[in-house]
Amino acid sequence: MEISQNTNTTDRKFALPVDSEHKSTEFRLFSIASPHMRAFHLSWISFFSCFVSTFAAPPLLPIIRDNLNLTATDIGNAGIAAVSGAVFARVAMGTACDLFGPRLASSSLILLTAPAVFLSLIANSPAAFLMVRFFTGFSLATFVSTQFWMSSMFSPNVVGTANGLSGGWGNLGGGATQLIMPLVYSLIHTNIGSTKFTAWRVAFFIPAFFQMLSAYAIFFLGQDMPDGNYVRLEKSGEKHKDSFSQVFYHAITNYRGWILALTYGYCFGVELTIDNIIAQYFYDRFNVNLHTAGIIAASFGLANLFSRPGGGILSDVVAKRFGMRGRLWTLWIVQMIGGLLCLLLGKIGSLSGSVAVMLVFSVFVQAACGLTFGVVPFISRRSLGVISGMTGGGGNVGAVLTQVIFFRGSRYSTEDGISLMGVMIMCCTLVILLIYFPQWGGLFCGPRKGVTEEDYYLSEWTTAEKEQGFHKMSLKFSENSRRERGKKGESVPLPSDKETPSTFV
Amino acid sequence: MDQFHAMFAVGYLMLSCFAATCYGVTFSSLHKTLIVSASSPQGHVLKAGEDELTIKWEVNQTFPPGTDSTYKTVKLKLCYAPESQKDRPWRKTVDDLKKDKTCQHTIIARPYTPSNNSFIWTVDRDIPSAMFFVRAYVYDGQGVAVGYGQNTDRSKTADLFTVHAITGRHVTIDVASVCFSVFSVGSLVGFFYMERRKGKVSLVK
Repeated sequence: MEISQNTNTTDRKFALPVDSEHKSTEFRLFSIASPHMRAFHLSWISFFSCFVSTFAAPPLLPIIRDNLNLTATDIGNAGIAAVSGAVFARVAMGTACDLFGPRLASSSLILLTAPAVFLSLIANSPAAFLMVRFFTGFSLATFVSTQFWMSSMFSPNVVGTANGLSGGWGNLGGGATQLIMPLVYSLIHTNIGSTKFTAWRVAFFIPAFFQMLSAYAIFFLGQDMPDGNYVRLEKSGEKHKDSFSQVFYHAITNYRGWILALTYGYCFGVELTIDNIIAQYFYDRFNVNLHTAGIIAASFGLANLFSRPGGGILSDVVAKRFGMRGRLWTLWIVQMIGGLLCLLLGKIGSLSGSVAVMLVFSVFVQAACGLTFGVVPFISRRSLGVISGMTGGGGNVGAVLTQVIFFRGSRYSTEDGISLMGVMIMCCTLVILLIYFPQWGGLFCGPRKGVTEEDYYLSEWTTAEKEQGFHKMSLKFSENSRRERGKKGESVPLPSDKETPSTFV
Repeated sequence: MDQFHAMFAVGYLMLSCFAATCYGVTFSSLHKTLIVSASSPQGHVLKAGEDELTIKWEVNQTFPPGTDSTYKTVKLKLCYAPESQKDRPWRKTVDDLKKDKTCQHTIIARPYTPSNNSFIWTVDRDIPSAMFFVRAYVYDGQGVAVGYGQNTDRSKTADLFTVHAITGRHVTIDVASVCFSVFSVGSLVGFFYMERRKGKVSLVK
């Protein structure tokens, strides 16, 4: 029986059924019950607002490029800048979540990047345009806090669903902005009567305010963990304040984090690249007008409404029967098919065929993103934030790489670039074969005999740290993650008596 | 027989209409049958929304008389010079006039008269910063382009006008954006202060 120093938390009633870490074991979409579902809604809405801000410029480019006298090179560079800032910001965000908690980490980042959106209004040159897109792009690091928060609030059996929905509905912002910004612009230009070059500037107030308000909502309404905020939990001794160097070390020495960082670059990274180039592709190759190209571009991002969450849900459903091995197999298959469809997209010469393939491709590539974050929460318990950050950052690296290799200058035509990107997706996805969890197995190998979840998660703590009881949450997590053995693994060894709770009260 | 002739004529007219619109008139098929000149008291550098451009056009007498028998309307357009088309595929010059993006700003459309034409145009506020020349297209009764004239030469390098666009910025917008940026960062500092106080209070408990 667990004895806690603060009796209030053990007596606490939650609106949803919870496990021993007080993480919810159910996901109820239409509830806003504190703290679990409220955290979900706060996180996806704030992430959505960051995506709206980051991709607010592309739909208004026909006006901005005339106002700021941009060349095609300027526009391409700004597009790359918009996604490259988040590469390191995501890793930093992961660390911040581990150390300060997702509530403070995300509201801080959002409030620090809101000025970049406000100052977009006064940009007057290509250089200024590049800078504001670069700094606004940092806000995409809220992805990491979103996934971390969900992994802190939801139990392993629903964590894929929670991660997939919050990530997917946030990504939706990239599609929604292609419809929102032109609408706001025309309201200001036509109804209020401002000139074109003033109207686009005023339109940027909308994403800026939305971002700022979502940060306030997180700060005042959100909570880091089911039992409270980091500050209070650390002061009362329920949560140990971890050391940065240890957290960082255990993240970067876990090879699985690096593998998923690479593969995420070829599902999410590809999604970002397509967000940047697809409107122009349809406009140039099939001669549709700008409005139509924008709608096609928007539909790619809007598929996130169900495709990424679908990936997360699929991950959880497969895990019920086949455990972690099922999650890994599904990820590998779905991402491979995504790569194949990308290859096909570049080869199709008809407009309707291209739109159809693009839509199917969007479902698979976004589902792969959801499936990736069905695996991430299990790679490390101590360094969950940094691992999430590395994977997220890897996604943006993939976006930068693919744009620089295939979509810059005139080395490849856009359709050749898309097909070659498909080949690269398939090649890079092969590394998933190398992931192996000793307690659960990998794609081709089963689990090692006698290895338990405790062995894996507690190896992140030294004996000295264990003696002081810092590893409590890893212990609870190990118990809760036993589901990842799947139906077949139910009779596999449990931890021996030497690791029972009596040592850490 | 008469009915047959009538049907044939109608069919031929329709076909030629379709042919013209489907085929797409190319710029290289047009002759420079108009002489166009443009001038401004401000010289060759103009401010959008403020300065004026005086444009004069008349038929080119060196062409045989009767060339302009089909001319019905004249459209004056502001077109991008090659310097402002560099690295900007959305302003590309294409021979097929339907796909050509060189001339994106219409100045005025007028019924055609052979001479004594002049128009004073205040540069629109939404003209971007770039180098321009003026071109006039003439259209026949069906709206098909049949001739043109421009104030510059074949290589589009002579007699160009530089327009300085408005920035679109206003003092109120500038002030508002800076104020809200400061407010955003300031409220973050406030949040950290509140968090530290909360931490101290729970310790006291």
